[in-house]
Amino acid sequence: MKLKFFDANLYVGKPTKAVYKPAVSAEEAIRALDVQGIEKALIWHIAQHDLSPVEGNRLLSGLITGQKRLYGCWTILPPQTGEVITLDFFDRMKKERIAALRAFPDIHRFMLNRVVFGSFLDEAGERKIPLLLSLEKGISWQGVYGLLKDFPDLTCVLCDIGIWGADRYTWPLLENYGNIYLETSLLALGYGQLEATVRKFGAERIIFGSGFPERYPESSICEVLHADISEAARRKIARENMENLIAGIKS
Amino acid sequence: MKKENLKEEFYKNGRFKRLPVYDLHGHMGSLAAIHFPFPDTDSMVREMDKSGIRMLVFCHHSALLSPDIGNRANIEAVRRYPERLRAYCGINPNYPEIMEKDLKSFGRYYKDVYVGLKFLSDYHSCAITDARYEKAWDTADGMGLMVLLHTWGNSAFNGPEHIRKVAGEFRNARILLGHSCHGEWDRAIALLKDFPNIYLELCAVLDERGFVEKMVAEAGHERIVFGTDFPWFSYNYYIGAVLGADITDEARTGILSANAERLLSEHISLENA
Repeated sequence: MKLKFFDANLYVGKPTKAVYKPAVSAEEAIRALDVQGIEKALIWHIAQHDLSPVEGNRLLSGLITGQKRLYGCWTILPPQTGEVITLDFFDRMKKERIAALRAFPDIHRFMLNRVVFGSFLDEAGERKIPLLLSLEKGISWQGVYGLLKDFPDLTCVLCDIGIWGADRYTWPLLENYGNIYLETSLLALGYGQLEATVRKFGAERIIFGSGFPERYPESSICEVLHADISEAARRKIARENMENLIAGIKS
Repeated sequence: MKKENLKEEFYKNGRFKRLPVYDLHGHMGSLAAIHFPFPDTDSMVREMDKSGIRMLVFCHHSALLSPDIGNRANIEAVRRYPERLRAYCGINPNYPEIMEKDLKSFGRYYKDVYVGLKFLSDYHSCAITDARYEKAWDTADGMGLMVLLHTWGNSAFNGPEHIRKVAGEFRNARILLGHSCHGEWDRAIALLKDFPNIYLELCAVLDERGFVEKMVAEAGHERIVFGTDFPWFSYNYYIGAVLGADITDEARTGILSANAERLLSEHISLENA
């Protein structure tokens, strides 16, 4: 049976620094998915990072309206400034098909900790809304460790975990925090990393992501297709784990 | 019946039936900065079998980073799998006496173990143009060896300008630009166009979409070779990238196989290796 994929790490839009053939519309994103045989995707807009979460979130919401194969990620800023987080934030998320959050504290110049996000991230944690953190775009390992010390039950997907093997960073997190997941776009790059992580922590902790348009989706796909893991593990990583995360969100 | 293309074949089987893949940039053994789950020789060759890698040309981490162990790690590994492995003799110019000894004994291991030399200048903090490398360059030039350079954009030790100097001086050496002057892609392509003895190698290029396309479009695929830093990076991932690149199957065949075969055939018979 052909493996079906759910891509948790794909952005749309033109970055400030040009990349090769990005998808700039929902139709182009869906075309990119079709080329790879990817069924669904959780997408974000690069303007959320490069320009401003305020504008980027708006662009993203407009783009996924009416697109059943696409879910959206909004990017958060400190609640105190009221730029993104408002009283009706969680209601708006649901209404606009936003299934996850992103944060880029180092680039957007704030602290991602309890002092700043106390009750907001407590509620996001209770609602089991995934927070996606990119180690290549705006948070350090120290930042991740600090966040999880403050919010140990938060559902977090660690994306773009770096070119150099990161087991020494990721495995202690997987061991200590039950709601941490690793995304494959760079986990799959290291020889044996995906297999070793599955053996130690189970396939439930890994989520497929392509890294498109900065990486070739075929790279992660080939590693998931041919890693020395069970077929059940392959299905979980390719699609089921992300579907379960979205299904588990409490409104 | 529609002919299966390379992407379809690899997706289905995880290897190619009729396309032996050559990896011209590998290492071996454990390393301070990274946990490698499977860095030993036996595991690596098992993975090569699985992914259809005909031959890996490597330089053991010990040969590059621990003068106390040095090149004997290379020799032992190749002796264990002579049909699947060849090595670059690691050159560390910070230890001229070891380097001289290794170069003196190079002939004894040439072809059976070594097909070239490996310089890791950024890590050794010694420019490839430094006089301390001279004997190694002379050996490579005299024997027409492959020289795998670690290269990086804006490097103080192995950037495009350093390469331009040695490529013009040692025209008989086959100079492989490991990582293709990462980040200074235009200058790497210019080097390829200007010097017939330069080859671009794709390790750390393939995890960023779009640059292989640029290289092939601007300079052709004939002197672009596949490399992975194995056991750093996964064959599935890097072959997947070559398959995902917007290039023809003919270019993919050259990059994954034919271009390396041409280079290696100058030193060894691949049928009997």
